[in-house]
Amino acid sequence: MEASLAWLDQPETFRVNELPAHSDHQFFASPEEAAAGSSSLTRSLDGQWQFAFAADPELIPAGFYAPAFDEAGFAPIAVPGHIELAGYAKIQYTNTSYPWDGHEFRRPAYTTPATNPQVGQFSRASDNYVGLYRKTFTLTDDWADRPLTIQFAGVERAMYLWCNGEFVGYAEDSFTPSAFDLTPYVHRGKNLIAVAVFRHSTASWLEDQDFFRFTGIFRSVTLQSLPATHVVDLALDARPNADFTAGTLAVTAKLSPVANHAKATVTLADASGQVLATQVTAAQATTTWPTLTVPQPHLWSHHNPYLYQVQVTVTDDTGAVCEVATAATGFRRIEVTPDHMVLLNGKRLIINGVNRHEWSNLRGRAITEADMAADMATIRTHHINAVRTCHYPDQLEWYRLCDTNGIYVMAETNLETHGTWQTPAGIEPTYNVPGSVKQWEAAVLDRAKTQYETLKNHPSILFWSLGNESYAGDDIAAMNAYYKRVDPTRLVHYEGVVHNRQYEDQISDLESRMYTPPAEVAEYLSGEAKKPFLLCEYMHSMGNSVGGLNEYLDLIDRFDDYVGGFIWDFKDQALTVTDPITGQPVVRYGGDFDDRPSAYEFSGDGLVFADGTPKPALQEVSEDYARYDD
Amino acid sequence: MPDTMTKLRVVYGEEQLGLHGAGFDYLFDYGQGPVSLVINGKEWLYRAPQPAFWRATTDNDRGNGFSRSAAQWLGADLFSHVVAMSITADGQTVPQPLAPANNDFGPGATADTVGVSYTYETPTNPVAKVIVRYTVAAGGALTVRVRYLGTAGLPQLPAFGLRLVMPTPTTRFDYAGLPGETYPDRRSGSKQVCTVQGMPVTPYLVPQECGMHMSCDWVRLTRETTLNNADHADTPYTLTVRGADGPFAFSCLPYLPSELENATHLEELPPVRRTVFTVYGAVRGVGGIDSWGAPVQPAYTIPSDQDCEFAFVINP
Repeated sequence: MEASLAWLDQPETFRVNELPAHSDHQFFASPEEAAAGSSSLTRSLDGQWQFAFAADPELIPAGFYAPAFDEAGFAPIAVPGHIELAGYAKIQYTNTSYPWDGHEFRRPAYTTPATNPQVGQFSRASDNYVGLYRKTFTLTDDWADRPLTIQFAGVERAMYLWCNGEFVGYAEDSFTPSAFDLTPYVHRGKNLIAVAVFRHSTASWLEDQDFFRFTGIFRSVTLQSLPATHVVDLALDARPNADFTAGTLAVTAKLSPVANHAKATVTLADASGQVLATQVTAAQATTTWPTLTVPQPHLWSHHNPYLYQVQVTVTDDTGAVCEVATAATGFRRIEVTPDHMVLLNGKRLIINGVNRHEWSNLRGRAITEADMAADMATIRTHHINAVRTCHYPDQLEWYRLCDTNGIYVMAETNLETHGTWQTPAGIEPTYNVPGSVKQWEAAVLDRAKTQYETLKNHPSILFWSLGNESYAGDDIAAMNAYYKRVDPTRLVHYEGVVHNRQYEDQISDLESRMYTPPAEVAEYLSGEAKKPFLLCEYMHSMGNSVGGLNEYLDLIDRFDDYVGGFIWDFKDQALTVTDPITGQPVVRYGGDFDDRPSAYEFSGDGLVFADGTPKPALQEVSEDYARYDD
Repeated sequence: MPDTMTKLRVVYGEEQLGLHGAGFDYLFDYGQGPVSLVINGKEWLYRAPQPAFWRATTDNDRGNGFSRSAAQWLGADLFSHVVAMSITADGQTVPQPLAPANNDFGPGATADTVGVSYTYETPTNPVAKVIVRYTVAAGGALTVRVRYLGTAGLPQLPAFGLRLVMPTPTTRFDYAGLPGETYPDRRSGSKQVCTVQGMPVTPYLVPQECGMHMSCDWVRLTRETTLNNADHADTPYTLTVRGADGPFAFSCLPYLPSELENATHLEELPPVRRTVFTVYGAVRGVGGIDSWGAPVQPAYTIPSDQDCEFAFVINP
């Protein structure tokens, strides 16, 4: 198969030869590895890669992905990282404006006569710069005869992959893992992978989040060597019974390939490692076991984030272990009462949350586990009990941290099209995507599916969010229907439907709004409310702000169907750079890089500064949220 | 000899009135206000105190247009001036002591209490008045009473206080009040004694109003240096301010609101050279519902058509 740049212009093309999305369970070659948490089946490709910058698609050197290509024009770059922070392209921050506004006339494909479709909108665009990456790796004897896959945890915004000069596949959806099968292309010894990362594709229309617009391989890259039988996917369905006196766990594993006489054993252990139940069955492509039962289960919640450990062990016909797959689970139930109260484990759920972008003042969104741990410590210390992953899925480690720390998660699909419907003209959706445009539906459904399949086992996730500020139409209704179909155990959230209420019976289990004054919230809740009320964004912590928070918290006492809200937001998005005048470290924001259009300091809305130190307002949040932290 | 152990020694100078006693020397310029507060040999004023009306625009102020609607108060903050002054000694009005009339006061003048009052007018339309009255007791206790006279037809005030610019930086301050940076609509915490090192400017991306401390009973500023070229000591010395009518608010920063207003980044602010210490009788809330239009809730605003009065005491 040959790569085609035309895919950049086609909303219908968003994954080519990608492996299906699957759960983020961990897998190991042996029980010993599983116990140590260190797998010999995966290998990180993070580190130094070779890189060249092409200012637009026409300037990509022919055959740059071929092993024989002369790398003279390439230079080292750190992966993960952003092309812009490496100095190759201008750093830019915009809010709702697409980054090309005023530079290029564009409308999304199939929305207006001028773009039906607009051929070459991105594939022949002078502003569509490209990062060209090359990385060699050595396939050692122990890995040489086994299937090999590669996983890119995050690449903005459209990527083409080659291996040893042959085209492998194409991926969009910057914030979820993209995996490819390298088996047909690799051989013992030295191998080359090459990646072309495009700044823009039709995915750019779907990723208009209010943030710095970065490009590149910004999350980890991992090689995975698969055993004779591999647990491709693990689905854990843990539920408490009606009165919480017992829990049931249904486990489904997808195995590939299935060897004759292979067996699959599932064990469930408590937090101390004590095995509570074991079942053995013949391995099948879709393996299930009799439902496991836990009497008097510890219920997972903010104050008691009790996790059970699930282990699936695959053995071959000799009884030798092929693979051990592990994942955590928890028993909890979220439900909506007839009078619109949201309950967790039978008690009223109060969300004292915060929106969190992934951010480092030094690395942008290419954050480290230490960055995440520091964010989590701040959240825990200040009585924040919930995080909305605005406005895209985070690194997988974040969900594990939320599971173990009892932080309720609103898991947001990677979707924002703010600039296609909210303009200086007001709400003007004539070229809104995805809207009800059929050609865009598959792309947004795939984003929902990828998020669900990847994250479905995390007990911390209580809400699936369809995205942010994308208006509402048939396509978002289809996303809602998808989540409802595959997951009856969680609520679905979407705010944008309040701007197009003809879809409100099809979209969102919650009446969700943003920045509504407390008096207006009270007015709504005093009337005929149809759904529980949530503020998915409130208290805009820009600069010296967060006055009047207690008026929102008072709503908790006044209205049982007020669920709470997520403060906007956790951390200032700004970059620490060296001041050319003084040589001192200084903080820069939008517009400081000659970037236009820019939304300037509008990304400085955190409860903590860009370097993670608390803003003065955090003490207010901490004290007010603590009133409900029991 | 006059009884300067229990009475104020009063010097009716040509341009300033001097009030002296054990450990304090105060000079009140007839046209500008107090220009010198020397306590135990250390000067605490760089220029005469001024009524404070402005706060450096916060992101929320910019978003809801408050700075635009209240812009007159920036002019008032910068350019209000003294239009009248009066002196009383032991309750008796003293005619303005200009030559040749002051020839009669002689070197031995004393008093138990001296009051000096300045009336300011703002360059607003309509004009508003502020009266600042300084009362000095025999032991040197200085009571400062500040009164804004409510004036119809003006925008809400961004702030109301009295600003004292001091010649050198404050190296630390201690106060009894709410911890951290607080505002009327963001006042968590319970009153306690707090210590702050230096004069931190909260590093908001765009410099703006910051560093307010609400509900304070007292504040003690510590400095170590002076501008006096003959003063070679670097021993810390302090000034304590107490509320006279109840709790007060203050900020202790290295910059004027106008300096903060002009900076787009922290590093554009000049090196720290002086102390800008402002005692507030009224503070406007910061708001927070959004940053693009939501007003501060009415309870946390400062109406312009009502009087606002506060007082504090400095003890040598």
